[in-house]
Amino acid sequence: MLLEVRKVSMIFGGLAALKDVDFRLEEGEILGLIGPNGAGKTTLFNVVTSFLNPSAGEIFFSGEKISGLRTHEITNLGISRTFQNIRLFDQMTVEENVMVGRHTRSRAGVWNSVWRTGFQKKEEARIREKTEELLDLVGLQGYNQSPASSLPYGYQRRVEIARALAGEPRLILLDEPVAGMNDSETEEMARLIKKILGFGITILLIEHDMSMVMKVCDRLVVLNFGEKIAEGGAQEIQNNPQVIEAYLGREEE
Amino acid sequence: MINPYYLQIASFILINILLGLSIYITLCTGQLSLGSAGFMSIGAYTSALLTVKLGLPIPLGLLAGGLLAAVMGLLIGLPTLRLTGVYLAIATLGFGEVVRVVFINWESLTSGAVGIAGIPHLGRTILARLQAAGFSPESWGLKNNEFISLTVFLILLFLTLLTLLFFSRLLNSRVGRAFQAIRMDEKAAEAMGIHTTYYKILTFVQGAALAGFAGALFAHVTGYISPADFTYHRAVEILVFAVFGGSEVLWGPVFGAGFLTLMPELLRGLSEYRYFIYGTILVVLMIFRPQGVIDRPLLNRLRGRRNEGKDAA
Repeated sequence: MLLEVRKVSMIFGGLAALKDVDFRLEEGEILGLIGPNGAGKTTLFNVVTSFLNPSAGEIFFSGEKISGLRTHEITNLGISRTFQNIRLFDQMTVEENVMVGRHTRSRAGVWNSVWRTGFQKKEEARIREKTEELLDLVGLQGYNQSPASSLPYGYQRRVEIARALAGEPRLILLDEPVAGMNDSETEEMARLIKKILGFGITILLIEHDMSMVMKVCDRLVVLNFGEKIAEGGAQEIQNNPQVIEAYLGREEE
Repeated sequence: MINPYYLQIASFILINILLGLSIYITLCTGQLSLGSAGFMSIGAYTSALLTVKLGLPIPLGLLAGGLLAAVMGLLIGLPTLRLTGVYLAIATLGFGEVVRVVFINWESLTSGAVGIAGIPHLGRTILARLQAAGFSPESWGLKNNEFISLTVFLILLFLTLLTLLFFSRLLNSRVGRAFQAIRMDEKAAEAMGIHTTYYKILTFVQGAALAGFAGALFAHVTGYISPADFTYHRAVEILVFAVFGGSEVLWGPVFGAGFLTLMPELLRGLSEYRYFIYGTILVVLMIFRPQGVIDRPLLNRLRGRRNEGKDAA
């Protein structure tokens, strides 16, 4: 088991954004986290990556307790994430963004950087090589020097994914990677997600686009008002009356 | 040919560049510290007292000045870490004032508002040493005061270039990318595995050390310091170097310090009108170029042109 979320609650003032949420994630699988707006999906991501400290409950990553660690320590252990409302480093180039993502897998400090030691040069070359690889993977070769903020929305999402992958995570948390994308872009993103899965990276995916979720996810966890209301295979979930009531029924409009 | 007056202005420009860089480096992680005048005074007083009262050599005084300012930077930086933006600015400005008031009132050590005079002068000390060894500036065709000014200028130039090299390499590396990431989006930076606390303290301490070092140099170039040299006017002046020149790139504060130190001298003929013009330029710049004169796109354009030139040649 790679990730275990054990009875996690997150309470803001009097409002419970998460109530006793419990689920597990096996190594190499892709789990979809769905639910209506405000169900607590992003809050859960924030709790897993320690952007928020859970009010109750514990989280384990490959057997180690990670709740209470600092965000950067969690990234070091191998959990990367993207953001629902894209948080690229806007004034940096695409390449620099991905290079920053490599921070956690590189070591050169002040001394090595200022003296430009052999170690530093080698590491920097490796960072560039890896960056090049990742930009190829997400289909952004040639955009190295473009300012991140100048790219169209869909491309920015891919830069975010490349940046998250640069840290060589074992688990990646994708927060609505196809939000606002058209069909062909969504198709491409689904292919990219499959590729990432092919590298043996475990994925936790928040997504509203049901066709996408059904296509790529092995299993689903459904949240509603902070509570897990269902868990299971995609087909199973689709036919779950509680889920239909809470989510799918309204989604059809 | 070698005019001591020009050289002195050039020396002050170099010291101001160091001060501008000190505020810039802290700003690199998005922290606006107005404690530069405070750290500068700590460096200046430390070095002045060590050389005057204990007779230590100047280089040791300079190092001690930078070091003590760095230690103070650490002590101030740790508790103010949670402050951002204008709150941090106010806290650090307050720190600078506290330091100044301490220097005014600790009369047994600092002679209070009178200040410390007779601080060993960098150039004169070197000249005295060389003369003791049998060297005479006249053998180079220089008068004593010309030799002194030239020596000071060259030493400062060397130190400034060294500082620039240090920071341009640092900023152009994994560490520098971490600084920038923190400045642009601290939370996202943390999610990249960047230990934001460490890097923020690092730039705060580096900025303090550099301001302290520049302050120590200032003491040995002017030969006299008093608390009046380190008021909040000084802090604001240093801030303006970075704001005017541009606080996005290393060359911004360098340009800002150079231009703003030179301009009042160039306008000396206009006597009391010169600060009127100084102010006007600042206001106009803030309206038309709020990011400062030198920003990233401008640098890229300049670099691009240079590269084109190379291709043609």
